[in-house]
Amino acid sequence: MYGNWGRFLRVNLSTGEVKVEEYGEELAKKWLGSRGLAIYLLLKEMDPKADPLGPENKLIIAPGPLSGTSAPTGGRYNVVTKSPQTGFITMSNSGGYFGAELKFAGWDAIVVEGQSEKPVYIYIKDDHVEIRDASHLWGKVVSETEAAIKKEIGSNKLHIASIGPAGENLVKFAAIINDGHRAAGRAGVGAVMGSKKLKAIAVEGSKRVPIADRQKFMLVVREKINKLRNDPVAGGGLPKYGTAVLVNIINENGLYPTRNFQTGVFEHAYEQSGEAMTAKYLIRNQPCYACPIGCGRVNKLPTVGVTEGPEYESIWALGANLGINDLASIIEANHQCDEFGLDTISTGGTLAAAMELYEKGYLTDEELGDAPPFRWGNTEVLHYYIEKIAKREGLGDKLAEGSYRFAEMYGHPEYSMSVKKLELPAYDPRGAEGHGLGYATNNRGGCHIKNYMISPEILGYPYKMDPHDISDDKVKMLILFQDLSAVIDAAGLCLFTTFGLGADDYRDMLNAALGWDFSTEDYLKIGERIWNAERLFNLKAGFDPAKDETLPKRFLEEPMPEGPNKGHVVRLKEMLPRYYALRGWTEDGRIPKEKAEELGIAEFL
Amino acid sequence: MLVKLFATLIEFTGKRKLEISGPKTVGELLDELDRMFPGFKKELEQGHIILVNGKNIEHLQGLDTPLREDDTISIFPPAGGG
Repeated sequence: MYGNWGRFLRVNLSTGEVKVEEYGEELAKKWLGSRGLAIYLLLKEMDPKADPLGPENKLIIAPGPLSGTSAPTGGRYNVVTKSPQTGFITMSNSGGYFGAELKFAGWDAIVVEGQSEKPVYIYIKDDHVEIRDASHLWGKVVSETEAAIKKEIGSNKLHIASIGPAGENLVKFAAIINDGHRAAGRAGVGAVMGSKKLKAIAVEGSKRVPIADRQKFMLVVREKINKLRNDPVAGGGLPKYGTAVLVNIINENGLYPTRNFQTGVFEHAYEQSGEAMTAKYLIRNQPCYACPIGCGRVNKLPTVGVTEGPEYESIWALGANLGINDLASIIEANHQCDEFGLDTISTGGTLAAAMELYEKGYLTDEELGDAPPFRWGNTEVLHYYIEKIAKREGLGDKLAEGSYRFAEMYGHPEYSMSVKKLELPAYDPRGAEGHGLGYATNNRGGCHIKNYMISPEILGYPYKMDPHDISDDKVKMLILFQDLSAVIDAAGLCLFTTFGLGADDYRDMLNAALGWDFSTEDYLKIGERIWNAERLFNLKAGFDPAKDETLPKRFLEEPMPEGPNKGHVVRLKEMLPRYYALRGWTEDGRIPKEKAEELGIAEFL
Repeated sequence: MLVKLFATLIEFTGKRKLEISGPKTVGELLDELDRMFPGFKKELEQGHIILVNGKNIEHLQGLDTPLREDDTISIFPPAGGG
């Protein structure tokens, strides 16, 4: 087998048993790898109704067939598990160098099962796998954890994925952080790791990923890298300004969510934009493994020194969504989230819900006591509550449950801007209705990454679509984005390659690496299979399309109050039936037997 | 009319915002900007996002989109992220 090693590690933390398992190429041809391999294993091996924080839940950490190769951006990996935040599947994706290193060590995945009684970490050096005591690391922040493990093992070549105090304390939106600042952030994968008492995974590898035709692959890769370098976004805007180049674009288009999505225009957007960050704080770019784009930022501040980030999403979540305009405070807060192991989008979304509850009088000064008041724009809220959430101290214990459960405690879940209890990212769907349909139908909830309709609706990639068009063309484009994103994730590449590459380019790279002769349609069919399999997991976990496939009332009933999208809501009810029909699903959003058979997943029905 | 420039266009012109009077269409405005900052239109050759009062000209009348003196025009080079 090429690209994939055809083997994965199974580590049972209840028994301490470590097993090597092999699989054949037929499985790879059906699921590709990473996100695909992981959903196959979860459907085959676990009860979707299992407690996400119990020993029956499995945490699968998996790079893809192109991870660790010279393919542009081949450094990604996915963490796939049942989310404690949503109760459904999540596939949280991260960059940096950890995913590639896991491939160098000779593994397609680590399947973590059971629960340890005491804190442990897993050390992997090629075929050598060890479960080691981590009692002395429990309570440490990410940078301390990484430094301590490197010192203990005596190697600076290690790449480490770990949790901070937030994961240890089962914060519903705790992240797994690798390489200091790269996050498999969303939907509480860090809490699943914490529930298993697994503090970290440290990896060192020395193998070369097997490639079917190395010379052909090299030529194909070179061609794709040139495409990316010559693309005005992948080779221009992203490396120069980072993802924060979006701040002004999204704000000028009137969908930059402000003060918990009360409006889509933030008066201080420029002060927190990529342009401002580049001028004030940027030292250099930080590319992930094999990345020709280099969108990562390294900033320097007097308070926290040199730090990585923040991304566009984090700037918005810890900025405009809280009415905060001070970029220095946002960068510091992002650094804190990385250190404590918190997802920035959900941290900001939860604090924003608290701010709106405070504004409306449901959360009172009496309850806050001496803690900073939840007033819009109050930067003290960031510095105070991020640590409180991670440590579950005071009101932080309630906030650690995420915006939906928090707002529900005060009798007003409608102030949680979330889908399936996962906080929404940095685009108001009233300004991009196809993106809104993507939020509603996303397998892991309020997520932009798996169906980034902002590309056609706002940025004009692959071509410009009217953000308020809700025709079948728009729905078909969303389905294509969902399936193609699944392929890119499963391959182990970064979604930013879509600024410059199309579906045929991924086919070329995969065929050259894997030695296959698949068509673009064959790969998209794998993407469709993955998307349907994830939905099947959710349906078996108790997902009810009639109840759960929706958006917060704000977007369905409250017209955007100002700006270019003034008067618009998301016409979800008009789009959803056509989405189901074009997906080949039943009218009530379920996967019929014929569709499951067509995709080869009927065994899991 | 208020013209707002972003990203590399700020570096190219040295301006973030400028008031311009006279152009009747987006095309005429670009001609004027090219006259003020020679090479401006070349900066947009690889793509652009042009908004009139927040609405993309792709869904208006393109370069023929009419302009009024109280309009706000936002001009971006190609950009993406996520």
